[in-house]
Amino acid sequence: MPDVLTIALQQAINGMVLGSLYVLVALGLTLIYGVLVQINFAHADIVTLGAFAAYFFTHRFGGHYLASIVVALAVGAVLGWLINSLVFVPLRHRGSELLPLIATIGVSILMENAALAAFGPIPYAFDSPYSARVVRLHGTYASLQHLLVIGVATVAIALLYAFIRYSVLGKALRAVAQDVETAGLMGINPNRLVMLTFVIGAGLAGMSGALLGPILVLTPFAGASVIVKAFAIVIIGGFGNMEGTILAGLLVGLIESFTTQLLDPGLIDIVVFALLLVTLAVRPTGLIAERREENV
Amino acid sequence: MDSTLRRLALVTLTCLGLLAGAHGLLAVAQGLLAVAQGEAQEKVIKIGALFAFTGPGSYFGVQDKQAIDLAVEQLNRTGVDGYRFQVFYEDSACAPLPATQAAKRLLEQVKPDIVLGEECSDATLAVMPLIAAAKVPLLNAGSSSIKITEPGNPWTFRIMPNEVMQGESIAKNASERLKARTAVLLHENTNAGIGNADIFERAFTRHGGKILLRIGFGRDLNDFTSIATRVAGVGQIDVIPTYTLEGQGLKITQALAQAGVTKGGDGKAIQLGTIWLPFGFDKKAGKAADGYVRIVQFDPTEKRPLVQDFVKAFRAKYGEDPTHINAHGYDQALLVADVVRRGGRDPKSIRDLLAETKGFRGVTGSVQFDRTNQNIMTDTIHYVETQADSSWKVLDWQ
Repeated sequence: MPDVLTIALQQAINGMVLGSLYVLVALGLTLIYGVLVQINFAHADIVTLGAFAAYFFTHRFGGHYLASIVVALAVGAVLGWLINSLVFVPLRHRGSELLPLIATIGVSILMENAALAAFGPIPYAFDSPYSARVVRLHGTYASLQHLLVIGVATVAIALLYAFIRYSVLGKALRAVAQDVETAGLMGINPNRLVMLTFVIGAGLAGMSGALLGPILVLTPFAGASVIVKAFAIVIIGGFGNMEGTILAGLLVGLIESFTTQLLDPGLIDIVVFALLLVTLAVRPTGLIAERREENV
Repeated sequence: MDSTLRRLALVTLTCLGLLAGAHGLLAVAQGLLAVAQGEAQEKVIKIGALFAFTGPGSYFGVQDKQAIDLAVEQLNRTGVDGYRFQVFYEDSACAPLPATQAAKRLLEQVKPDIVLGEECSDATLAVMPLIAAAKVPLLNAGSSSIKITEPGNPWTFRIMPNEVMQGESIAKNASERLKARTAVLLHENTNAGIGNADIFERAFTRHGGKILLRIGFGRDLNDFTSIATRVAGVGQIDVIPTYTLEGQGLKITQALAQAGVTKGGDGKAIQLGTIWLPFGFDKKAGKAADGYVRIVQFDPTEKRPLVQDFVKAFRAKYGEDPTHINAHGYDQALLVADVVRRGGRDPKSIRDLLAETKGFRGVTGSVQFDRTNQNIMTDTIHYVETQADSSWKVLDWQ
């Protein structure tokens, strides 16, 4: 029987894995919000379709699982491009902030039901070559799939951070996030950058689908099952704030695993959403408060 | 260039939308055709069917529908006592609110002679009062909560073994056959999940066993690694009765194996379950499910001609073997036909004749209702055990 320290360490590993998954899903949401000040409710369905793309690539076409992560990223990116082209661009030009919000709910329902019609409701067994391979060390363990999630999340976060902070396009993105009109006057094409934001955000969602597919339950509702937590993470971290989202995602993952250990898994949502309410009451700008223009 | 890309995007999404729309239109057209056909024939028994076709319990609805469609197709070839059967499906989503809305639609628009379903206890408990108030019999095959029949609702019948029958049987077998002395209970926080766990706990304790830990969780819980870690920390466990839908069940089984708790992960504990998991679970869970013992409601290896004919017809129609959920869906339709054969013509006479059912033998087993309209025959309880190669074998347990 493992000792208390080993159990605590194991739950910390479990929390980090779950938190990394949440961060990957939430980053896309926060990125889009940071630039557009818009919420994309279809984000969950991009996660789902990314997971299914990876599943069919590996299980039907015999592709390698690692390659399927790239395929899912590409599928997510294409979906992001489509949603922005068809929903956000035309409705944004009408000048209402509410219309795109409502439209993405419609897109979400359409995509979820299309997935249900195409893939059926029965859960898929999405096993990656790393799902059943377990690494054990001093009483703790993690499957290679879990370690892969942490690795991919770390690399994705680092690349995204570097892109936004140091690349020319990243700087242009931040300029658009600060002030679209002024950025336009500086020769930046805001429409292209908004599209780029959507493509990156949705690509991240698709990629997270490929990673969570083998860990969570793969059904047409897979994305919906994590999106509520992702929204909570984005709010706790500070809407549009990347660092805050990362911190909040890991925090929620750890809260989930330690609530399961010390209290009861039935209380997870109570603890997480109590944290959300406390954050809204005490620090409405999120865990890491920044000026709006410095977000993204 | 931008406008070209937008047009291309518009065309692609429109096609996707049209595909989804066409799927819906096809379903509507099929429904209208069925209505037209039904009206063309004078004597029709209208069967309302409340099953989950969306959400985590939708594998129940899909499998029930397969078997009911097959049964009705077979019955309608000749008709029964001059009557044909027409089924009207509604998606009750395995949850109380959508189930009540679906039941209202059925009762108001279809005015069925009998209603079949739901599978999930919470949904069944929610629709029971509505259907009883409309004085329509409800024939249930998949909900296990004792609350469904225990008060004795005169309009609700159940042909599957309830949670008490299943729980007593599992606890007895765990204690006597597996020599289990310790158990950890894992269950979803629903009427059926909590009820099944309660019954097992009481029965297992009565047999001298000890419950080391009991964990309940919501249907939205995704990752079971933390639960498996907690379970691994409680010491020597003999059995782990688990009450969840298939999706969560898969992940629990894999997480317990990874934590080295169960036989599938080179541990010692054996997972136990009831009819919540369909056949095919073993293949999906892989090696992790090795040694999993659970109740199913159907033994496809049974030699009775009725069983073998059903297996053959199901394979011919769907190209796959029937599951126990298919089987109890099939039995619901057969029992309705049996009642019509005995003179059932409308909700009241169908209800009265259902209550008098005696000697009916379906593919799952026999049916005879007690004063609460619970099937008292236990030959519908079959046990299977998952083998190391992810196949399963029937156990000679009762």
